[in-house]
Amino acid sequence: MRLPTKEKGLWLVPLAIALLLWEFIAWYVIRDPLILPRFSTVIFSIYILRELVIPDILTSLLHFGIGLALAFSAALPLAIGMGWFRNVFKAIDPIIEILRPIPPLAWIPVAILWIGLTHSAAGFIIFIGAFFPILIDSYTGFRDVPKVLVETGKVLGCIGDKKLIKYVAFPYALPSIATGTRVGMGVGWMCVVAAEMFGVGNYGLGFRLFQDFYFLHQMDYVIAYMLILGLVALCVDRVFRYFVEEKLLKWKKGIVK
Amino acid sequence: MNHKLELRNVTKTFNTEGGEMEALEDINLEVKPNEFLCIIGPSGCGKTTLLRLIAGLDYPNSGEIILDGKEVIGPSPDRGMVFQEFSLFPWRTVLKNVEFGLKIRGMKDKARREIAEKYIELVGLREFENCYPYELSGGMKQRVAIARALATEPAILLMDEPFGSVDAQTRNILQEELLEIWKRTKKTVLFVTHSVDEAVYLADRVAVMSARPGCLVKCLGIDIPRPRKRTSMEVNEFREKLLMLLSLERSKACIKP
Repeated sequence: MRLPTKEKGLWLVPLAIALLLWEFIAWYVIRDPLILPRFSTVIFSIYILRELVIPDILTSLLHFGIGLALAFSAALPLAIGMGWFRNVFKAIDPIIEILRPIPPLAWIPVAILWIGLTHSAAGFIIFIGAFFPILIDSYTGFRDVPKVLVETGKVLGCIGDKKLIKYVAFPYALPSIATGTRVGMGVGWMCVVAAEMFGVGNYGLGFRLFQDFYFLHQMDYVIAYMLILGLVALCVDRVFRYFVEEKLLKWKKGIVK
Repeated sequence: MNHKLELRNVTKTFNTEGGEMEALEDINLEVKPNEFLCIIGPSGCGKTTLLRLIAGLDYPNSGEIILDGKEVIGPSPDRGMVFQEFSLFPWRTVLKNVEFGLKIRGMKDKARREIAEKYIELVGLREFENCYPYELSGGMKQRVAIARALATEPAILLMDEPFGSVDAQTRNILQEELLEIWKRTKKTVLFVTHSVDEAVYLADRVAVMSARPGCLVKCLGIDIPRPRKRTSMEVNEFREKLLMLLSLERSKACIKP
């Protein structure tokens, strides 16, 4: 999204007000750092924890990367099948719809038993979270290719499913695949905390949050890590949007916005 | 180039919920090389269906369609088609759209660029070749579609109300341009329209169809010399003749149960 220059700093004011309000309420109203630590204390905690923060972020990104890569490479071929071939959709959709409502957290015991306490087990939980949004948005894209584009392809010699998918359906579905991936990334990141809760390693944002800080009742550390969770996700999303929406989907600019 | 299209006893029925619907009944038609033939008829008379059969996007229930001595069995770039709806691939620039058929054919980058540029020049869109479809007006989109259909050097150009969704003034300009292109490329053109004015302005010959079941009522040659004047006496007389014929068909269709 492109904001006019005048509105570029618009988000700064509400953010500053929210932070000031937080600082003020914590200091004068709540007055108990165990319930709500001050914003300045939280920022200071990040400084204190600086030795831990980077390895924790990297470990969490590793889990996230494993999960997302798995989810994307499994969902995309399935989405092509389900979106392009009606019979594949009819055959597979019931299975998908049974598995989809199962919360990723419910898969934790399965992950531990199948994979053990490894990074891959955490990746598996994130995979479950990210897989369905990617699949569903993507197959919708393949399913909704306008008939006139398919027929145009055919009269220009683009004949057969393989060619039609490659030259017509896939480029048409790309924005849907991108949307699905973005939503999947969001859900996947939410699963990071849960995925690291059961101790697959000695690092990770979720691991730290539950294994260290929670037991020690260190609210300022907890909130510091919550902020980091939010900030990392924001960065990942921005990078994704920059590369995908600005570079890959330039042709869509006139349509969305 | 002398390409000849022949339709022999072509019949098409559709299976609808209310049973079988006869869309085309016993169509016999011969399109001469380099001829500009308009097919005109009331809406629902099957003129689009007829064009789709020739394009190979649908199959006749009986009868045969023969192009240059070979029976039509499916879509192929030897029959270029321009659709009524905007059919440009939105993710491709003007140049890439026009190149599409050549790319599918496996032509090398440089060769296909040369050909595509020639046809873009022909429709007068040289400065827009790097634009995406969303940046073009309706008339420009159809010009690109014409260039794209011509780029694969089809034996015959099929046009399904290509100017139906542009405004009246643009339509007049596009008609003139199409005649110029026709004169220069010496293509055989089969042009479906519901506009009497359009048919009289463009065609060498007009085939009049009636509705339900769709059949050819009459073929009229228009021997008014070109360039034609839209408001001239002869044009108006011919228009009158066509309108009479069409209203006669409409009243017949109303009497039928």
